Amino acid sequence: MESVEEEIPRIGVFVCHCGINIGGVVDVPGVVEYAKSLPNVVYAEDNLYTCSSDGISRIKESIAKYNLTRVIVASCTPRTHEPLFRAACEEAGLNRYLFEMANIRDQCSWPHMHEPEKATEKAKDLVKMAVAKASLLKPLDEPEIDVAASTLVIGGGISGMTAALCLANQGFKVYIVEKEPELGGTVKKLNKLYPTLVNANEGLSKIVEAVKAHRNIEVLTSSVAKQVMGFIGNFEAVVQIGNGQNENLAVGTIIVATGANVFQPVGMYGFGEYHNVVTQLQLETLIKDSKLEKTERVVMIQCVGSREEEGRTYCSRVCCMTALKNAILIKESHPETDVCILYRDLQTYGGHYEDYRRMAQDMGVKFIKYILEKPPTVAPLQDRSLCVSVYHALLGEQIDLKTDLLVLSTPLIQHEDAKDLSRMLKVPLGPDGFFFEAHVKLRPVDFATDGIYVCGTAHSPKDTAESISQAFGVASRAAIPMATKRLRTEAITAIVNEKLCSGCGTCVKICPYSAIVKNEKGVAKVTDVLCKGCGTCGASCPEKAIIMRHFADEQIIAQALAAIGRELA
Amino acid sequence: METEPRIVAFLCNWCSYAGADLAGTSRIRYPPNVRPIRVMCSGRVDPAFVIGAFEGGADGVLVSGCHPGDCHYVSGNLKAEKRMKNTARILKLLGLGSERLRLEWVSTSEGTKFAQVVTDFTEELRKMGPSLLKAESEVDAPPDALEVISKALKKTNVQYCLECGKCSGSCPISRVNDAYSPRRTVERFLLGFGGSMLSGADLWTCLTCYTCTERCPSDVRYPEFVRACRRVASEEVMEELCAHRGIPMTLSRIMTHPNIKQERMDWVPAEAEISQKGDLLYFVGCLPYFDVVFEDLTLDLLKIPQSVVRILNRARIKPVVMASEKCCGHDVLWTGDVKNFEKLAKINVGEIEETGASRVVTACPECYRTLKKDYPEVLGKIDFEVLHISELLSELIEKQELKYDAKLLMKIVYQDSCRLGRHMGVYQPPRKVIADIPGVELVEMGRNRENSVCCGVNAWLSCNKYSKAVQIDRLKEAKATGADLLVTACPKCQIHWKCVTSEKLPVNPEEVTMPMRDLSVLVAEAMHLT
Amino acid sequence: MQASLDLAARGFKVYLVEKSPSIGGRMVQLDKTFPTMDCSICIVAPKMIDCLRSPNIRLLTYSEVQEVSGTAGNFTVKILKKPRFVDEERCTGCGVCAQHCPVEVPNEFDMNLGVRKAIYIPLPQAVPLKYTIDMENCLQCGLCQRVCGAEAIDFDQQPETISLNVGAVIVATGFELFDPATRTEYGYGRFRNVLISLEFERMLSASGPIGGHIMRFSDGRIPRRIAFIQCVGSRSLKGGVSFCSSACCMYATKESILIREHEPECEVYIFYNDLKVFGKGFQDFVARAEDEWGVKYVRSLPGEVIEDHKTGDLTLWYEDTTENVTESLGADLVVLCPALIPRASNKELAGILGLELDEYGFFKSKDPQFAPVDTNVSGVLICGYCQGPKDIPESVAQASAAAARAAETLMMASEGAH
Repeated sequence: MESVEEEIPRIGVFVCHCGINIGGVVDVPGVVEYAKSLPNVVYAEDNLYTCSSDGISRIKESIAKYNLTRVIVASCTPRTHEPLFRAACEEAGLNRYLFEMANIRDQCSWPHMHEPEKATEKAKDLVKMAVAKASLLKPLDEPEIDVAASTLVIGGGISGMTAALCLANQGFKVYIVEKEPELGGTVKKLNKLYPTLVNANEGLSKIVEAVKAHRNIEVLTSSVAKQVMGFIGNFEAVVQIGNGQNENLAVGTIIVATGANVFQPVGMYGFGEYHNVVTQLQLETLIKDSKLEKTERVVMIQCVGSREEEGRTYCSRVCCMTALKNAILIKESHPETDVCILYRDLQTYGGHYEDYRRMAQDMGVKFIKYILEKPPTVAPLQDRSLCVSVYHALLGEQIDLKTDLLVLSTPLIQHEDAKDLSRMLKVPLGPDGFFFEAHVKLRPVDFATDGIYVCGTAHSPKDTAESISQAFGVASRAAIPMATKRLRTEAITAIVNEKLCSGCGTCVKICPYSAIVKNEKGVAKVTDVLCKGCGTCGASCPEKAIIMRHFADEQIIAQALAAIGRELA
Repeated sequence: METEPRIVAFLCNWCSYAGADLAGTSRIRYPPNVRPIRVMCSGRVDPAFVIGAFEGGADGVLVSGCHPGDCHYVSGNLKAEKRMKNTARILKLLGLGSERLRLEWVSTSEGTKFAQVVTDFTEELRKMGPSLLKAESEVDAPPDALEVISKALKKTNVQYCLECGKCSGSCPISRVNDAYSPRRTVERFLLGFGGSMLSGADLWTCLTCYTCTERCPSDVRYPEFVRACRRVASEEVMEELCAHRGIPMTLSRIMTHPNIKQERMDWVPAEAEISQKGDLLYFVGCLPYFDVVFEDLTLDLLKIPQSVVRILNRARIKPVVMASEKCCGHDVLWTGDVKNFEKLAKINVGEIEETGASRVVTACPECYRTLKKDYPEVLGKIDFEVLHISELLSELIEKQELKYDAKLLMKIVYQDSCRLGRHMGVYQPPRKVIADIPGVELVEMGRNRENSVCCGVNAWLSCNKYSKAVQIDRLKEAKATGADLLVTACPKCQIHWKCVTSEKLPVNPEEVTMPMRDLSVLVAEAMHLT
Repeated sequence: MQASLDLAARGFKVYLVEKSPSIGGRMVQLDKTFPTMDCSICIVAPKMIDCLRSPNIRLLTYSEVQEVSGTAGNFTVKILKKPRFVDEERCTGCGVCAQHCPVEVPNEFDMNLGVRKAIYIPLPQAVPLKYTIDMENCLQCGLCQRVCGAEAIDFDQQPETISLNVGAVIVATGFELFDPATRTEYGYGRFRNVLISLEFERMLSASGPIGGHIMRFSDGRIPRRIAFIQCVGSRSLKGGVSFCSSACCMYATKESILIREHEPECEVYIFYNDLKVFGKGFQDFVARAEDEWGVKYVRSLPGEVIEDHKTGDLTLWYEDTTENVTESLGADLVVLCPALIPRASNKELAGILGLELDEYGFFKSKDPQFAPVDTNVSGVLICGYCQGPKDIPESVAQASAAAARAAETLMMASEGAH
């Protein structure tokens, strides 16, 4: 393929009628004529439907016949049709990035259908802009990289193990790094799981067995990831095993499944001060070990340390159901015990959690709503029991409850060492402390950084069933690059002109994909495979040392000048 | 058992009581069967005292006051005369015999007269024999309140309450009385404060209109819960809150006595054809009694059963009408008197079965619900079908066994009563019956069918400024439709509305007064049967 | 779509069957999504295009599954491709036909608020961008045929039965809306200014029937007060379904913010029972709505809505449960948030696939705890709302989960084949 950069470009322009969508408003033949008058345009024609197989053939034929080195299609939106025309160019032997589109339908003939003359004028301008840019286009390559078919799962809890098993079953090699001496995470500490009330350890141990037995999974317990370098398909992780040696792992993808901690409400509602104030997790342990004493009344307070005005403003999702579950278990073993749940908004969402609430009501569990502005207060009584005084927001009355056991429902919070992991992997933590995904709605388990994924309570509070569901999801996402074993990376990327770079580091900080680093020479270097071509770095570089391929400064300026009727000098 | 008659005497302070004293000081002898009660004026004597005395087992009641014209309080004795006349009619209806009530004028100086009256009365009563209502000896132990409540919480779904407030947002009383909220009442019960609720007024405030039940997402049947709790709630509080001194319930209770033999057939028109055995039975309800008790409302309530019988005759049906029909027990049930309700249910069902009727029709929605729904619940299955008159009429008109031959050019608005509507789901038949009348245009209030608004009172309870506010609001709504006539299938609705519009209203009477008619009477009119 | 894209990116071949003429589902009917306030169609359209462009995905729109036999790794699926009466190969989506079609019918995509022609695309960004003739309303006048430059109209098109051999099946049929007309106390269907949320969403959408303005349909006036009523038909033991639809508190908050953005003078009230703020970013979203946008939350489910027939103005009667007072509130517009329920057609599909439905009509998970996307039939997976109430991020994650399980099934099958 000869270099087309040095030669004078030979531009072919194809103006589409799109039936009457364009042709009915814009004077298409007129635009064709105008196009012919533009610099570097050697050929122009109009088509009824350029995107039709007929039109595509015409493009390919014309490239060959007229030795076109740039192609412009003036038709609809590049968002839908650019790939189609690029493919056509490529098939005709022209680099796909030597193609440009002018949107003279969605952004011209349609909105201006009542002003055909002005629409035609605009269409001409749009073609002129396209020509200006096309003249400056350079061919680009999309490099392919190898992707290692192995995953590093950080966290050996239920989420990590589920994802690991799913990937291992599909033939991928999986390393699980778990900082505790045993697999199992938080679920190990649980008693029963709602809503099925299955024994937590029953289900968990089956999964642990399967993980240990799987030939594709290597488990490293009492181990911590110390350093991670590289990029998707080519990560290098340094894992410290026990207190001893380090092991180097080369993996293609990384899954963060580090779970969460339970907030300890020291100083709230007498926690830490009175012996009979516990968290739900502590209650869980008491029930599991059959150490729960018979009491006259148990009071549970929801939203302790969550849904606050500031700080932990989020709802921890699982506490209402946990409280219901434990209330039901208490009632099952001690029906005479009065159980009161002091709540703010009962989070009984989903298909079956409402049934659970009704089960609790059936058993006589009492519900008292309180509001943020008037939280309950706890005072000790002489006989070592407690008096919980709550303003029942719906009755408008203050109610005093004498109790021997006060259970505080506290939120799940991010691990202390998450910050280290976040820095290590260059993945962000959100405002609530949990890991922040690429897109809250449509990419919930991906990180913006390619090749790294997150699931389970590391992502946000959720219960066991939801964690498992998300873990399967993450397995699918991680499998994608690993399945094809090769990844075609973006051609539209940034490239640093090392001679101009002053090493200020602005671009390194600003890149949302962590795709720029300072290399050993102290100048910025773009990791092509991570770069998405957004252009933020290019716009921020004070030295104008960054060139944005396909959206270079001069290309864009040329378009702008063409738009206002002036030429590029 | 005594054979000597026991007489309760109400003597006015200024004349009759003094007269009785004079008989004593003059040593005039008279039988010792009389038990005097001093009242300031014979006008003080509430019919409820008299009926209550008979319910308690009195063989005779004497009411005595000043001679007409001499009343110390101007005209109290004249009021007593009128009241006692009506009370006597009720006693006659009950079959107790109006002769057991005597009204006499005895002045201060008439000691001899007093003695004579008592002597004569006692002799008569000896001849009449003891009252049929001798007090019963059995007294049941009251049920365990907490157990009743906890059972009711489960059975009526109260335990599933979401505390959403939809009930209180729908309740017509809540709307005018901020202190009343079904939701808050439920919450208190759920928190275990039910005990204190039993001695409060809340439980008696509920209209049991089912609006909340209709809309509650958790299917809480609050009126049924209230009804169950009323069984163990404070009777004193109820008595305080019950209008008309609870006379209707007293009458119902009296009817549970096995010896009762009512005389309640006077309303039957001369030409009407009824029978003692047959396939279709017309259950009349308490209209003969209400006709007396609410005489002042000039509702002409007896026109209802008369219309029904005439219409049925026109359709060539000879309905069974039982002379021994007892009160269906609706008010007794809804005020928590389960024991007497069960008695009435047993008696009525037994009597109906004896007539051989396979279908029972009634013109009262409360009787309808009670016979159709509550009787089977308490007795098991019943062997007859229960219809409301509108259902039967609708059927007969459909089959062309009844035809309208009059044209009534008017706009009619129909009130869905609670019992017929939300309780039993009968919305269409009355509408069909009305709309089919030639010339009639049926218009609807905005809040109709399942969204209809109660007439404001249930079982005579909590008739107060709140119920009146509800009634006025509803009547305004009816008037605002521009209808010429307000038709209802429930005699109670009519009674309550007529009552409120007869009072001094806080609104312009123009806004709320409109002609009212019972459905059956309307139909009879449209068939030239009145 | 997400499940298809995940599998296609792996190299598996996917047939994406959709019974309406375009893929996209519910997301394309929304204006914005909570809590990010992204333009819904803007973020989902690229996924739709990806499905179209992916060489491994074959779209079978306007098609329904008729019969399924076989086992995991080897299912035979018979699909009925309903006749569009438009040749998909030839149609370019130019729209000239619709311009000339004389028949106007209510547009179901716009919840019947706007109109479409008998030959139509459900939305301008439909994928595939191919027109469909609604033969029930078509006059067969032939105008479209005459003006179609691509000669794509084919009135003789027959339904086609396509037989596919696949290794796994993923069910993702989503939800439909509970009809709140049965809750007569709220007047939906009788009162002109009582709408359901999806109707309101279409009204708000820039591509909707009135281009994203807020107005009352009774008189065209801009409302000064709008009230949302939550839980209409949800959490109900009668007259609805007993589960919580899980997304309504949040989308009502979203719509409220949009109203306040569009019309700062318009007051917004949300009547709720328990505010479901359990998801990531939900509580902050509600705090923003309250503090920054002045949306008023009232803890109460209203007893009834009454209409003034002359003006169309509405009055809500409710007990403010935290103030303990029963009062009324006038509103110009009331939006009901109805229960989101599994589609009635799930029953038929369950029969075809041999799947079990739970008591609410959701497809049953093999194990709600440990195997959420598996079913009682090996090789058939479920995901999204049809498995249980959830929002968009959960649906997307679960779709990937179904893809993962499907991949496992397909790989085991091919291993078995060796």
